[in-house]
Amino acid sequence: MKSCRHSSSLDGASVGMADADTIFALSSGHGRCGVAVVRVSGPASPTALSCMAGFRRGLMPPPRTAVLRSITDPHSNEVLDRGLVLWFPGPHSFSGEDSVEFHIHGGPAVITSVLQALGSVPGVRPAEAGEFTRRAFQAGKLDLTEVEGLGDLIHAETEAQRRQALRQMSGDLGRLYQAWSHRMKRCLAHVEAFIDFSEDELIDDGILTEVDRTVAQLQAEMEQHLKDERRGERLRTGVQVVIAGATNAGKSSLLNTLCQRPAAIVSPIPGTTRDVVDTALDIGGFPVLLSDTAGLRDSSDLVEREGIRRAVERLEQADLTLMVVDCSHIPADVQPAASFLREHLHKLMPSDQCLLVLNKTDLIADSQREKLAVGLQSVPGLPPFCLISCQTHQGLTDFLTALHSRVKTLCGNPLSGSPTLTQARHRTHLQRSVAALAQYQRYRDADLALAAEGVRLALTCLGRITGRVGAEEILDIIFKDFCIGK
Amino acid sequence: MLRKKVPRLLQVFKRTSHCDRQQYDVIVVGGGHAGTEAAAAAARVGARTLLVTQKIQTIGALSCNPSLGGIGKGHLVKEVDALDGVCGRAGDWAGIHFSILNRRKGPAVWGPRAQLDRQLYREFIQSDLLSTPRLTVWEGSVEELMVEEPNPEKPGRHQVTGIRLGTPISARSVVLTTGTFLSGSLFVGQTSSPGGRIGDAPSSAGLSHTIRERLGLRTGRLRTGTPPRVVKNSVDVSLAKLHPADLNPTPFSFINTQTRCKPEEQLPCYLTFTTPAVERVVRENLHLNCHIQQDTKGPRYCPSIESRVLRFPGRQHQVWLEPEGLTSDLLYPQGLSTTMPPDVQLRLLREIPALHKAEIHTPGYGVQYDFVCPTQLSPALQVKSTQGLFLAGQINGTTGYEEAAAQGLVAGLNAARSALAMPTVMLSRTESYIGVLIDDLVSRGVTEPYRMFTSRAEFRASLRPDNADLRLTLKGFEELGCVSSERYKEAVRVRDTLQDAMAALQSLSALPHIWKQKLPNIEISENKSGELTCMNLLLYNDVTIEMLASVFPESLSPYMEFSQRLKIEAVYRPHCDLQKREMARIQREETMLLPEDLDYFSLPVSLSQEVREILDRVRPTTLGAATRLEGMTPAATVNLLNYVRFSNRKNKIHNMCLRT
Repeated sequence: MKSCRHSSSLDGASVGMADADTIFALSSGHGRCGVAVVRVSGPASPTALSCMAGFRRGLMPPPRTAVLRSITDPHSNEVLDRGLVLWFPGPHSFSGEDSVEFHIHGGPAVITSVLQALGSVPGVRPAEAGEFTRRAFQAGKLDLTEVEGLGDLIHAETEAQRRQALRQMSGDLGRLYQAWSHRMKRCLAHVEAFIDFSEDELIDDGILTEVDRTVAQLQAEMEQHLKDERRGERLRTGVQVVIAGATNAGKSSLLNTLCQRPAAIVSPIPGTTRDVVDTALDIGGFPVLLSDTAGLRDSSDLVEREGIRRAVERLEQADLTLMVVDCSHIPADVQPAASFLREHLHKLMPSDQCLLVLNKTDLIADSQREKLAVGLQSVPGLPPFCLISCQTHQGLTDFLTALHSRVKTLCGNPLSGSPTLTQARHRTHLQRSVAALAQYQRYRDADLALAAEGVRLALTCLGRITGRVGAEEILDIIFKDFCIGK
Repeated sequence: MLRKKVPRLLQVFKRTSHCDRQQYDVIVVGGGHAGTEAAAAAARVGARTLLVTQKIQTIGALSCNPSLGGIGKGHLVKEVDALDGVCGRAGDWAGIHFSILNRRKGPAVWGPRAQLDRQLYREFIQSDLLSTPRLTVWEGSVEELMVEEPNPEKPGRHQVTGIRLGTPISARSVVLTTGTFLSGSLFVGQTSSPGGRIGDAPSSAGLSHTIRERLGLRTGRLRTGTPPRVVKNSVDVSLAKLHPADLNPTPFSFINTQTRCKPEEQLPCYLTFTTPAVERVVRENLHLNCHIQQDTKGPRYCPSIESRVLRFPGRQHQVWLEPEGLTSDLLYPQGLSTTMPPDVQLRLLREIPALHKAEIHTPGYGVQYDFVCPTQLSPALQVKSTQGLFLAGQINGTTGYEEAAAQGLVAGLNAARSALAMPTVMLSRTESYIGVLIDDLVSRGVTEPYRMFTSRAEFRASLRPDNADLRLTLKGFEELGCVSSERYKEAVRVRDTLQDAMAALQSLSALPHIWKQKLPNIEISENKSGELTCMNLLLYNDVTIEMLASVFPESLSPYMEFSQRLKIEAVYRPHCDLQKREMARIQREETMLLPEDLDYFSLPVSLSQEVREILDRVRPTTLGAATRLEGMTPAATVNLLNYVRFSNRKNKIHNMCLRT
């Protein structure tokens, strides 16, 4: 899903995603929290505030003062929550633009409904990764130290959002969106072919009838999808932690230790775990989805190979990887041990978010354990590590502390594990896409250029979910489907 | 008239040839569509300009099809004209069959097009150039470029200081528009010979050598082709479908109200189709065709008849029979580009209805030629590594007269500005098809000959053929310096009149039932409350300015000269307004310049190796161009933005990272 990277607001030819758009995001972390903060920034912020918190136009609350209001859906007027709202007229705001904050109750249902309501306000859309920060930067609201870390911050957010999108796009929903995108691309290519070539070439008028039909079908299907309250799939919430490592390193034992029950089958036979075993956990108050995966090795067994493929797929989506290594296999001296671990990590899964779990300390001498614990501390290029024994629970407390702190950091990033936000993004983009398709219908007979503009816009909106579609890709379809000779 | 002028110009040249100062500001090499626009633009800007071509007689020659404009290409002609270029006026002079393509598909994609009389076109271009002040034309074959050490105060590894044409001639800027002549080879059947166009001498090998070896520019190879020319008398047009011209020819140029050719004097085109026998002839003779067997990239959209029947077998393909001129004895069979041996070409032709007795005057042939990978150019069409060198036309990997003319204008304009110590300028993809063309070339490069399509322009609703003058003529005078004051004054008048008219249309209103009474044939929806303005009414398909003028004769009659433009403007304005924000963002990013000599590998900001390599390879000139690169991440863009801001303030890091 490399294309997700390109679908940011920084992307060049992205019609309808200009800086002047108003953006929103959940800016508090997720997990168990009493209050969630939703931030809105941009010229339509006052509109969002007036139509969702019942202020009449021109009668805004006093600046930078919390006011208790009912927060309602702007279309149905249904009350979604009661909470505090704050109004920050630009330039005295985090982003330098007119901004609004909604402080609402932290339950996922409330958050989802407020985000979706915001997405339906005209001119307001979910923020792309790093967009708030970038606006603040452009408005000169960040100091130099913050600016230096900006690229890394945005990188982290983009990656988190990419992983989140991967999770949602790997299932039926992803296939559905991709199929729509594919059909829309063909529609656009055929309209464009008709515009650019039909005067000189044999392009049958029938292709437009075909496009009419497909556009109408797409509209109907997408509208139906938006109405469907089940939304297709249960979302995997929480920080995604994946246990990985070679066969028989003790991955399933670690899972069972962490969830304090035999959730996975444990045996001394390498390759026991063949599918991904998911368990929802609560670690220090934060929701975690812990996944045990098949041991990574070359296997000729078909079932095991499929298990390994799934393990690799899950690793790509992970927020945090627990890399389990059998420490009885590690060389005794520190330097060779470090090289061994480095090579091992590199071979299995090079990931920046990783915690190294050196398991089975019960199989090595205490003195050896101490030597590794001290010696590996000073080795550069190794991720943080813990020495534990799932058998004797030696080192478990330290490991849990380390895990808790990592999970806490990850949860602090509002984008990393928030499927509701991704869902809200999808919804907004889908709604815009459907609306743009209506432009095709409106102009179909009067002005084909403006009708094509509708399909193009619809595809751009859908492309925010499925990956951007460039002009060259459309031309490729044209030249594949038609013989263009002039 | 032309022949009289040339000797005098030669004398001018001889008198100055031994001076050791800069003999010219700008030298343009090549007299095709790119070269003529480049030379004319350079002279308009005020540069003493020399155009060097192999034969003065072939200046303005139409090497391939006898036509100008079309869908997307017509936009380019209008834009070149709006910048006071030559080709639009030449088209109006030489056109013998005018039509607006896509008439029923919306004004944004209308394609003004004309069949041309080859001779009239050539004559117009030659007489226009030879009477252009500050422009000298010289016949000769350039042996090589004069290359020296770069000026250390400017970026670049080399500096071009002139050309060698027997003796060296120096200039501050050189524009190369060599078309298909750079290491060109001609192909017919199994034979090939060096050359860029049949009947002309091949260009000097020294030029290719300088470009590749001395300047170290990356080049690639492309192919194209042209159909056989058919003797008109041998064609039975009664077997083809008559295709008449528009009843009222629409001129290309904003300064022309009519074309030279009278409506009733226009010549028709004819349409016929290939038969299964054509496909058979192609298949049976493939082994006799070495052009088509090579893997050099040809265009997908202008393929030879061989490629067409091989890629889409079992179909009929269109063949247009086009006039070559008012007095010409030839017809041009558009769609039959081929490199078969001449006898096979004849057999193939005769399998087509209307051509069953056809005689070939000149066989079709293919050309393979070198192009310079255009990512090595700046948006001003200057070679980034070489001071004083500009490229335009097919040498940049494009195809088509209009694409060449558009680049020629921009290259000539910038060559002159650079020579006269003015900053170079670029046209944005938010304001013109020329900008789209050049941005695509310099930031993406080409893998096949590049041709303009309307679908390449993301702001198609705003970049229309009708408003090219408003988009470019004003800027062309105020900022670029390539537009005459007469043309500018006219454009200002047009702009002001349109603004007044739009204001009037916005202010004139009536209640729905009054409108219904006055315009009974228009279905005005009943449930609209309040008054409807003329502007609201224009959004109805069938409402014209003429109808509104019948309701408000006094207020609207002054604007009837622009009735069509006003209707288009009213319908498109809401869509253009929607695009404005996005256009503004792109324009802002395009003003953030990235230093040309930035060493991306040592830049002290956080960028991945992959991104550094992309940036180093393409060397985008602006942040805007950088964001459009395949593989750029949002984080990388922000880091670059950050860097640009910082270096603009302090300029310290810039000097640190300059390549030594």
